[in-house]
Amino acid sequence: MDPTQLIPATDPISVPWMWFEGLDLVTFVAHLLFMNVMFGGSIIALLSLRAKKRGGVSPVPEELSARLPTLLALTVNLGVAPLLFIQVLYGHFLYTSTILMAVFWLSVILLVILAYYLLYIYDFKYRALEGRRGLILGLSVALLFCVSFIFSNAMTMMIVPATWAAYFGNAQGTLLNLSDPTLIPRYLHFVLAALAVGGLFIAFLGYGKIRNGNEGEELLTSGLRWFTHATLAQFVIGTWFLLSLKRDVLLAFMGDNVMETAVFLGSLAVSLVALYAGFTRRVVLAVGATVATVFLMAVMRAMLRLEYLAPYFHPSNLELHPQYGPLWLFGIVLGVGLVLVVYMLKLYLRANKGA
Amino acid sequence: MEYPIWQLTTLAGGFWIAFIAVVHVYVAHFAVGGGLFLVLTEHKAVREDSPAILAYLQKHTLFFLLLSMVFGGLTGVGIWFSIALISPQATSMLIHTFVFGWATEWVCFLGEIIALLVYFYAFARMARRDHMIVGWLYFIFAWLSLFFITGIIDFMLAPGKWLETGNFWDGFFNPVFWPSVTLRTFLAFTFAGLFGFVTAIRIPDATARLSMVRSCSLWTALPFVFVLAAGWWYVHSFPPYAYEMVMFKIQKLGFFVPGFLVFGAVIMLGGLFMAFKMPAAVTKPTAYVLLVIGLCYMGCFEFSREAARKPYIINGYMYSNSILPSQTAAINARGVLRTAKWVTNKVVTKENEMDAGREIFQLECASCHSIGGPLNDILPKTLKFSVFGMDSELNGQGKLVRYMPPFVGTVNERWALARYIVDDLHAGNTHLEDGPAQTPQNLPAVVPKKENDDYVLLAWNNLGMHCISDSDPFWILLPPANDLIAQLIKRGDGPEIITSGVEISYAVESGFENPAEQVTFWDHAQSLFRLEKPLPVNVGVSGNKVTGIMKPTPGGEAFEASLVPVVPYPDDGSFNPYPLFTVTAKDSATGKVLATTRCVAPTSTEMGCKNCHGGTWRVAGVAGFTGETSVDVLAVHDRINKTTLLADARAGKPRLCQSCHRDPVLGAKGKEGVISFPAAIHGWHANYLTGRDENVCYRCHPAKNTGSTGCLRGVHTGVGLTCIKCHGTLEDHALSLLKYEKNRGIVSAEKLMQGLDSRVVASKEAINPRDAWVNEPDCLNCHVAFEKPAAREISGFNTWTAGAAELFRVRTDDMGVRCEACHGSTHANYPATNIYGKNRDNIPPLQYQGNSLPIGSNRHCGVCHTQPMSDEGHHPNMTGMFRNARLISKEEMK
Repeated sequence: MDPTQLIPATDPISVPWMWFEGLDLVTFVAHLLFMNVMFGGSIIALLSLRAKKRGGVSPVPEELSARLPTLLALTVNLGVAPLLFIQVLYGHFLYTSTILMAVFWLSVILLVILAYYLLYIYDFKYRALEGRRGLILGLSVALLFCVSFIFSNAMTMMIVPATWAAYFGNAQGTLLNLSDPTLIPRYLHFVLAALAVGGLFIAFLGYGKIRNGNEGEELLTSGLRWFTHATLAQFVIGTWFLLSLKRDVLLAFMGDNVMETAVFLGSLAVSLVALYAGFTRRVVLAVGATVATVFLMAVMRAMLRLEYLAPYFHPSNLELHPQYGPLWLFGIVLGVGLVLVVYMLKLYLRANKGA
Repeated sequence: MEYPIWQLTTLAGGFWIAFIAVVHVYVAHFAVGGGLFLVLTEHKAVREDSPAILAYLQKHTLFFLLLSMVFGGLTGVGIWFSIALISPQATSMLIHTFVFGWATEWVCFLGEIIALLVYFYAFARMARRDHMIVGWLYFIFAWLSLFFITGIIDFMLAPGKWLETGNFWDGFFNPVFWPSVTLRTFLAFTFAGLFGFVTAIRIPDATARLSMVRSCSLWTALPFVFVLAAGWWYVHSFPPYAYEMVMFKIQKLGFFVPGFLVFGAVIMLGGLFMAFKMPAAVTKPTAYVLLVIGLCYMGCFEFSREAARKPYIINGYMYSNSILPSQTAAINARGVLRTAKWVTNKVVTKENEMDAGREIFQLECASCHSIGGPLNDILPKTLKFSVFGMDSELNGQGKLVRYMPPFVGTVNERWALARYIVDDLHAGNTHLEDGPAQTPQNLPAVVPKKENDDYVLLAWNNLGMHCISDSDPFWILLPPANDLIAQLIKRGDGPEIITSGVEISYAVESGFENPAEQVTFWDHAQSLFRLEKPLPVNVGVSGNKVTGIMKPTPGGEAFEASLVPVVPYPDDGSFNPYPLFTVTAKDSATGKVLATTRCVAPTSTEMGCKNCHGGTWRVAGVAGFTGETSVDVLAVHDRINKTTLLADARAGKPRLCQSCHRDPVLGAKGKEGVISFPAAIHGWHANYLTGRDENVCYRCHPAKNTGSTGCLRGVHTGVGLTCIKCHGTLEDHALSLLKYEKNRGIVSAEKLMQGLDSRVVASKEAINPRDAWVNEPDCLNCHVAFEKPAAREISGFNTWTAGAAELFRVRTDDMGVRCEACHGSTHANYPATNIYGKNRDNIPPLQYQGNSLPIGSNRHCGVCHTQPMSDEGHHPNMTGMFRNARLISKEEMK
């Protein structure tokens, strides 16, 4: 079946497509950072529950317990914006892939609600749970592993229309993209990224404590260890991911396309800087380089998406019916909103100091 | 059309959207109103200097956080997921149109959660004033997110000017926007109170507990007044059809709107009730019950709002099944399967019909109808249909009853869908099968010998087709009532029509003497005809029985027995729609028999309502109404017209249709402003049966000779003409009646005409209006000057008799002989062919001239004239030989 026959028609856009691509990128990177910290942090906390360090337990699980639910809240919120913007550009691909896997996709809501409540139980009942902390946190982590796998399926299935004909064998919404060679390496790549960023966050917490004159060495050291080890593993998994790509896309990143190759090389470069910073305990540099890496990798991800969709679609194909007023509305409200958010955070910090 | 369909059965019909959305909206309104509740309660705690209330507030904030942020937030995302899964085209349209409205709402969502997190986590630490600022910011952000999402939601109900301009602001600030925001704001405050009860009842300190519970009562009850006012404003801003649906509680709204009002009253009263000082054993359960009722209340509101939008998902722009009204003409021509992208069958064939039907169901029906599930289960709704009935329903869908969209696709696709629903989902609806059917037997029809050569007695039934609806316990449209007519002619050089000094009697053949044993008409006649006293058994509505004496006709030229109550059910339990009557003329003075003849009184109960209204035949597998069919006719009428006919019938008061709908055939005046019965029944059903040939007439009228009556049986049928030749197709037929009603000022006629197109006439405008039974097509439309018709193709439709006096069945020839006396009844003109015995209708001509031709044919003037005749005294062109010799035997042609 010719895949182009299956691609749904879509609707016009109200401002040039780069606006949406740009807004998507910025908000997606924010989402990724919070998600990595939350997910990676949860895994590390779970694995650290058993770790016995220097005559005691690891401080990581408790240190993170109060933060994880909040991190998940912000992850979800920051996921809304990029999901909104990519639906405008690629909705006809994304809806299709999510419909093909509808049961899994819809179950994400339930899985995240459960994971979220489990994190609150882990948080509020930390002391009371004692030996059962691992069970509660483990369940939550397992759910989040499922959720991320479902997302990887949705996002890879949407860019391979040639596999959509599987629908005609299964229209019950239980398809997955398992035959795609990029799925597993991509998924592992993102999980490792979560571990790396999660570890870095823990190191950052330790760093902050030390700067305020409190105990933070354990956090700093174990955090950096997770960060550097995960990042090293990334080079292996990342290579696997790269090699699993379609040949012409792989070559595009390896020299055929100047922009794409530049982004790839740039992201490699900053990731090496981050790795170096990790080994040399320069936390602030590590954070800066990691954020840059995540940003460039997100750009690369968007380019990858465009490459795979190239035979079928490019966002510049979208019909433009210009209406800039609503963009102004968003911009103004965003500006005011961010100012108020900063204000509220200042009040929060003031309250902490006063206490 | 564009997207693959997640094929659901039990949980189709939008279940996931409904479930996720109702719980989300309930919690979301709480998240808004509760925000104000939090900060005002904080003010209250400060004002009353109450640490207990402050402690309560902290607990309530945790409850608030856990409920609204986790469950409320995620289910909100859940709505988004579910609408894109189930209604991707509509979702895409909304997303592309309102992306920045949604993005703005997201900013508010971000502000909300930051505020709530800060409010909760810094509760104990933060300076009171700062904390209250954060609380206020939370509420402002929350209310703004309600503001922004409402614009998009209510756009779906009332797009307003956006339909023309495509402008974001026109769409956002739509006609329902401000009333909706107001209504939802006050609902939010009421819910804040309801949820507040749940935590307030747990406060350990008794004084604080009572104070907070009373505060929650105020929160629950006081906004309610504004909810009612805003609700009134909201409904009055609806687009016209949506407004109609709510006010007249059409369909689903008949449950959800009253539900909304009742639950609302319970909440308000319940809220006030909680203000009384009561033990925990009372307040605790009450609080939870009220919470559940709140959910039901919200559910009723949301279901009402969704239902009011039907048949659209975006009002006026996109139907619930994602088909655009602007596309329907193209899809009807091309086919829905060829237009849709994600189907396997592109064209319907005999082999793939069921599977194609399944795919069409998913495309056009599954968005609202589950299969065996909680939402709009298609199974009970289609239990009464045969494949034909289902197909007819689809044919008329959305034209008159407008809360459903029209079926879109080719005629073959429509049939495939009907087959899928009936033969697959219902495994054939075998409960509609009739059981063994009687086959028409060749019944004896003895031709009487002439008594003498002095008199000729001709007798006939005025109509060749008379039907009875033996649905008496529920309704009636025609009672047992045949009109027998006779003319007595004294033979001679100048034959004389005898109109006095004679007694013409009539008697039904044996087996039919006791109609009251066969039908329940007499049990209900008093109610049906609104008589002062019950009708005596076996007596018809004119006072005549199946045996009696004829009276002179009003014009005096003949004799008649009007409204003879014969029924087609002989004592042996069979069905015989042609009972024979023996008519005898006697000298009044001497009692001597002057002449005898026999004629049929055609009367049938093979009325095909069951084709669409469920039930089976009641008698001999071929005729008669069961209660099931009769009930469904009333149930549908009640549902569509908001009448109470079924309830009335069940209470022992069945009605005559014509008690409201005027009808010339019964001389019924009906009610002022109500459309005539013939216009109503044809006008309504024509919308469901378009583009058909005469077979559609046979679905209701027992005319076809492969049925069990075959009353279309005269000479015209013999030469291959059908109903359409004189009466037009069903659409033309309906339009002629509807036009007359419209000219009479009947409003509903216009609505019934809209979906109908003329077919045998060039345009709707060219159709001439006619009143039923009075303005009829006439023989002379085709037989101009009594001649052979100019061509086979000419139509007898659209020229009507000026009035009742001009009707064929009433007219006489130039000599005063009734047309029907020589030519036989309408639809059974000599020579007729009857499926219960070929010559059953032809007894008078067989008796008097030895053939089945019209009296006097082939120059048989000698039937009445004792002298040879050459003039065309009766009517022009009467002296030629019978043209259609192939219809009769060689012997008869002599």
